[in-house]
Amino acid sequence: MYASYLNSLMEAFSRRMGLVLVGFAVTWAVVFNWLVHFIPLNDGSTMVYLGKRMMGPGSLAQPALLGIGAEITGGLFWMLLSILAAAPLLSTTLDRGWLELTLSKGTARWRVFLGRYLGGCTLYLASVVIACTPLEVRFWWNTGIGPWPLLVAMLIQTFIFASLLSLAALAALPQMGPAPPILLSLMVAILAPVLAARKIGLYQILTSNWSRGLIDWMYRILPKTHELQGASTIFIRDRVIESWFPFWSTGIFMAVMIALALWLLHRKSL
Amino acid sequence: MLGKYVPALNGVSLRVERGTVFGLLGPNGAGKTTLLKILLGLAQPTSGTARLLDSHPGNTAMRRKIGYLPESMRIPDYMRANRFMWYMGRLNRVPANVLKKRIPELLERVSLGGVKKPVKAYSKGMQQRLGLAQAMLNDPELLFLDEPTDGLDPVGRKEVRDLVQHLRHEGKTIFLNSHMLSEVELVCDHVVILNQGLVARAATPEEFTRGTGEYQVRVAEASDAVRAAAATIATTGDWRGTTLHFKPRDRAQLNALLDKLRSVPVEIESIEPVKFSLEQFFMQVVSGGNS
Repeated sequence: MYASYLNSLMEAFSRRMGLVLVGFAVTWAVVFNWLVHFIPLNDGSTMVYLGKRMMGPGSLAQPALLGIGAEITGGLFWMLLSILAAAPLLSTTLDRGWLELTLSKGTARWRVFLGRYLGGCTLYLASVVIACTPLEVRFWWNTGIGPWPLLVAMLIQTFIFASLLSLAALAALPQMGPAPPILLSLMVAILAPVLAARKIGLYQILTSNWSRGLIDWMYRILPKTHELQGASTIFIRDRVIESWFPFWSTGIFMAVMIALALWLLHRKSL
Repeated sequence: MLGKYVPALNGVSLRVERGTVFGLLGPNGAGKTTLLKILLGLAQPTSGTARLLDSHPGNTAMRRKIGYLPESMRIPDYMRANRFMWYMGRLNRVPANVLKKRIPELLERVSLGGVKKPVKAYSKGMQQRLGLAQAMLNDPELLFLDEPTDGLDPVGRKEVRDLVQHLRHEGKTIFLNSHMLSEVELVCDHVVILNQGLVARAATPEEFTRGTGEYQVRVAEASDAVRAAAATIATTGDWRGTTLHFKPRDRAQLNALLDKLRSVPVEIESIEPVKFSLEQFFMQVVSGGNS
């Protein structure tokens, strides 16, 4: 699995979209760090500025600024870029001519595919680390405020991405190229906030009980990316997880998608 | 869904001895690649079993002892030969220190030693040679080569033949699936012809290319006297230039013909038994003819 994992990372960073994602993360890190200044005061404390705007002392500025970063890296645009970069890693595994070659080797099919999947998740995590860690390190250096809330937030965001990529993994199996996995996972990423706010949105349009029931079931089944994204920024600010429901329900969705994809691949006759 | 069910293979039973080169022949759609995929655990048979190196084809530990060159191999564009070989080796759990030594050796062996460009810039023949190199990476006991000379020029084909012979001398078992009948004839110890999913014939190339019973007797000059003398013995003979095509009843009749010709007198330049070529035999089998 490790060989497949390393190979997927190598492929990711050889692809244009992978480089765009990393380039975007580097640009974001440079711009954000350039805007944030730390001014030491006479009383020994440090004042933080975003451009000319005073954000307050480190204890107030850190959650606010890292929260902005987390909202960007967990936002739809970043997810879109990451899916465009990572989903082809799964579909190319199943390319005819290459699939026969890799699956005839002495590594189980599920290990090859899972290695690729984990490679895709690592690509996203790497982009988030590149984008957010430099500022956090500066905070740590200048104010002494530790990085662990950001680390937890980054893991939550990677969890969101992993749930979307698990759907892409399943959608890659019919060997129809990268388009179905990308479209399906993007559709879920777009639909998740709509479903989360269904009581003030969709319920106004859908008035019948059965349609509302259907929407409720969709919400229960699909990943709760919107709530998880909120949980990551709240954790940076308050260091608490308010509800575990989005975590375990998304975890079940992800586990089922991956298990189904691996089982279908195991049974696939080439 | 409403299409007709056609079995790709039907009751195929083969036994391949270790240390031999086994040729699998057949027209397109005969089931050759399907058979290979079943043996490699890439496809599941609807019924029946396959055993490979005393193990089930899906066994990953067993697959580490196998090398495979697929028919339509596709290597991702971003890869270079070294990286590709490294990945293939690691998938077969070949230790890193062994790979460091074997990869340059094998690339040299398939004449790709100094090539630095990415695989996407390789010609078909170069890709095929790279595929052969990866198949040998784990020092396999058994090699499956599906159309190994596809896309190669005559020099490349000769190199592959030499490689196969060399591997046989090393004690490897080679399963060769090829359309190139002349190659199969040259390198294989046993040949099976598949047709419409069935084993149509199985024998050694020598058995396939055994004599037809006919001889070609070439003389220095086919004068009327020579032809008349020959006609007394070879009543069914057929002259083509200075060569008489003749199917004697037995060796005595052939000797009688030669004695007659010498008594004319005429110089006999050569006597050759006419043999089936594998291609003739193959065409006969796949078109439903009798051998």
